[in-house]
Amino acid sequence: MSLVVQVIVTGLAAGGVYGLVAVGHSLIYRLTGIVYFAFGDLVALAVFTTLLVAAGTSPISQTSLAPGRFVLALAVGLLVCILVGATTYVLFIEPYLLRGSILGWVAATLAIAFTIHGMIGATFTRPAYVFPDPIPFHKVGGDGLVSLGGATVQVRSFFVIALAALLAALAVWALEQTRYGRALQAIASDVEGARFVGLPVEALVALTFGLVGALAALAAVAAAPSAPFAVDTGTLLGLKGLVAALIVRFGSPWSAFAAGLGVGLAEAAIDNLRIGGLGLGPQYGEILPLAFALALIAYRSLRSDGVVSFSRP
Amino acid sequence: MRAGSAVLEQTRSALGAAVRDARAGWSRRATLALVVVALALLAPAVLPLNGRMPDLAGFVYLAVAAVGLAYAVGLAGIPSLGQGAFLGIGAFAEAILRAKGGWPLLPAILLAVLAGAAAGALTGLAVGRLRGAFVAVSTWILSWIVVLVLSSFPGISGGAQGLVLPEASVLGLRLTPTVHYEVGVALLALAILVFAIVAPRGPGLALSAARRQPAAALGLGVPVARLRLGAFTVSAAVAALAGALGVELAQIADPSGYGPLLSFKLFVAVILGGARTPLGPVAGLLVISAFSHAAEQINAVRGLPPGRLEMMLTGYGLLLVLALGGAGLLPSAQAWWRRFRPAPAQVRPQPRAETLGRVQSSRALTARGLSKRFESLVAVDAVDLEVSPGSIHALIGPNGSGKTTALRLLVGVVPPDSGSIALGRQLLDGMSVRARALHGIVGTHQTSAIFADLTVLENTLVGAGLRRRFGGALRTLLATPKARAEMVSTRRKALAALELVGLGNDRDRPAVELPAHGQRLLMLAAALATEPRVLLLDEPAAGAAPVELERLANVLDELRQNGLALLVIEHNLRFVRSVADEVTVLEAGRRIAAGSVAEVAADEAVQAAYLGRQRL
Repeated sequence: MSLVVQVIVTGLAAGGVYGLVAVGHSLIYRLTGIVYFAFGDLVALAVFTTLLVAAGTSPISQTSLAPGRFVLALAVGLLVCILVGATTYVLFIEPYLLRGSILGWVAATLAIAFTIHGMIGATFTRPAYVFPDPIPFHKVGGDGLVSLGGATVQVRSFFVIALAALLAALAVWALEQTRYGRALQAIASDVEGARFVGLPVEALVALTFGLVGALAALAAVAAAPSAPFAVDTGTLLGLKGLVAALIVRFGSPWSAFAAGLGVGLAEAAIDNLRIGGLGLGPQYGEILPLAFALALIAYRSLRSDGVVSFSRP
Repeated sequence: MRAGSAVLEQTRSALGAAVRDARAGWSRRATLALVVVALALLAPAVLPLNGRMPDLAGFVYLAVAAVGLAYAVGLAGIPSLGQGAFLGIGAFAEAILRAKGGWPLLPAILLAVLAGAAAGALTGLAVGRLRGAFVAVSTWILSWIVVLVLSSFPGISGGAQGLVLPEASVLGLRLTPTVHYEVGVALLALAILVFAIVAPRGPGLALSAARRQPAAALGLGVPVARLRLGAFTVSAAVAALAGALGVELAQIADPSGYGPLLSFKLFVAVILGGARTPLGPVAGLLVISAFSHAAEQINAVRGLPPGRLEMMLTGYGLLLVLALGGAGLLPSAQAWWRRFRPAPAQVRPQPRAETLGRVQSSRALTARGLSKRFESLVAVDAVDLEVSPGSIHALIGPNGSGKTTALRLLVGVVPPDSGSIALGRQLLDGMSVRARALHGIVGTHQTSAIFADLTVLENTLVGAGLRRRFGGALRTLLATPKARAEMVSTRRKALAALELVGLGNDRDRPAVELPAHGQRLLMLAAALATEPRVLLLDEPAAGAAPVELERLANVLDELRQNGLALLVIEHNLRFVRSVADEVTVLEAGRRIAAGSVAEVAADEAVQAAYLGRQRL
């Protein structure tokens, strides 16, 4: 029982971040028809830029940080994320999108991913970093831990879950209620139509490439102090969000978010749960969701009868 | 005895023909290639390379995998990000068989290659019908899965020590790094040769066609799915071979080396160098290696852990190439070279065109009660149609009346909801597009759908490929006597089709250079090269000037006299009047009139459909 509670809390906390990445993947796919392989690294860029401004590249103890400096650091991190997301789109992805060259945009998104990944790796040379904690969770409960249903869970986990849900709600609200969101919907349903009525399609899509990264990065920064953060953590975030988005076929923001939570829960359950003495263990936690996504793609591919499926809605 | 000497005589004449062909096909480039390969093979004996031999051999094996990836990426246009995974599968199959199973070298390599080919075939089957984006995603996920599986199960990967392979020897010859290098160079030359031979011939042309216009290629009966699956499988098998040999070279299998980073590196090598040139992947890999070398130097100076800067520099390099247009280094270099030294006008001797044979068939294409709905819209509603040999049947009607849908039903692109189609007494219901094309029913597209990467003649050859019996990849590669004889006759047929539509003089031009109407004629020629009995043309006269219309009418007339059954969708009623023997008029999916031109023109329903809405 206690283990189940722990699995649910840690699973949802991790899943909330995956969910936001999945929301971003879905949105980008619906807008442009491409899969953004650089997503995870863009998130990592925001997280590490925040760390750089907040505390430099030296090892950090969790508690030593002034809130003011952290807010500044976060602002810089998100801004860099938006700028890099938007400019790399304009410079490298869009030209190939307009030409309809799949090889071109696949190569471009991967090149962006590895360039960002390499730049972070060259700056932050340690294997992993412990993040400073801007919010004093350690003062709540026993050093930041509370007991719930017999399980000991981090207080921060609840904060991350709430923040992720809030951000997902914000994304949905922005898509449905703001002019920007309605413009995106117009682009997703008919690019040429949107262009015809005078929407600045390129600028809006470029901005979205940055914004979805920032959205996920905000949750990632909130979750980062829970565990050491490495460059690869970001890449894996992107991959798991992609798995969630694939499961719901790049569906609506809420379904993508829910799928992200599902992936997080599945991962935590596979890592920790033992049913009837049979447990899979942590080595399966990352493999099985990936294998599931691959099997799902194969199943859908074999069931479809045309050459083309997964058409953009 | 006599039978034996006859066989000998046959073999000798076949060999003689092969030698003559080889001599005719020999060029300065072939001599150059031979010299380069010989020099590469001799290098270890001449140059003081001893300490670098393992690195060099490893590079050559990686280059083999990169050229293999170009089969999938460059030839077939499949954006595969899984080459690292297939390399890993080959490497670990080899390592496990040798280290744990105690297998001898050669059977182990064979099984490793088969394992890679099987993994490739399965992946290809699973993702073969997907859009390119999903192929990229699936193969990318596969790369992650393979590296995660290899690195998290000590049972497979041999734990922290890794799998250590026993020393290998074949027939008493120890496999030193130098031997590996020689084997690698030979394999690399072979892999490049395969690419260079297949790309401009039958299967390669068909893949090129399908890369840009899959629907049009399918329409000409190209077995797109099968060819792509084949290219992907071979590509994976080559990777597995490179992986297996690479692990023999290193003598230890390290799981961390076969992940997404390797897949990315190989993909970059192919794109960077030029995916559609046989030497491109090697050039790309050389550049990447130069990057990593530079990165290691900087790392050493700055005291960074190894491998950190390599990715960044590789990423920068690719971004630079992409920002410059993404054609790849070799094609760009070639274009630049041509500016200074334009290619000499190619006077390629072509076999004489023969005339296309008459269709000896009295079988008509008939459709009975053909219907198709798209959700609430009834596109085609219980239409009867008959197209007889030696006649031109025009299908006319206002926009949106279901003409094109009717044509798509006839060629088999979409299945009808009800109704039946037959050629003579042969029922065609449920047959694939290719099967119908083999029965002689071929259609052209409404929009221009030429194969942009190919020349005019090559476009037509894609169509002519339908009737080839000895045009498979293996026969093309080995240039068997039958394959070569057939290649000549196929070329003749393709030329004949081009001459018939009047494009004979444009045969070596890139197809994209043709004007709009020329491209329509080219589509017609490609369809004709399939030797059809029934030809279904969707608006062949669109965009034609009056002179061109007259020429088109003559072409159609010649086809009619050759005994073809022609169905022509057309808006230009004057043109219809001048060529059609019979006319069927559709409105809102229903047949409202049928008969000769005069009968139909006098029909009140037709007059209402065409004129009724205009009141003065």
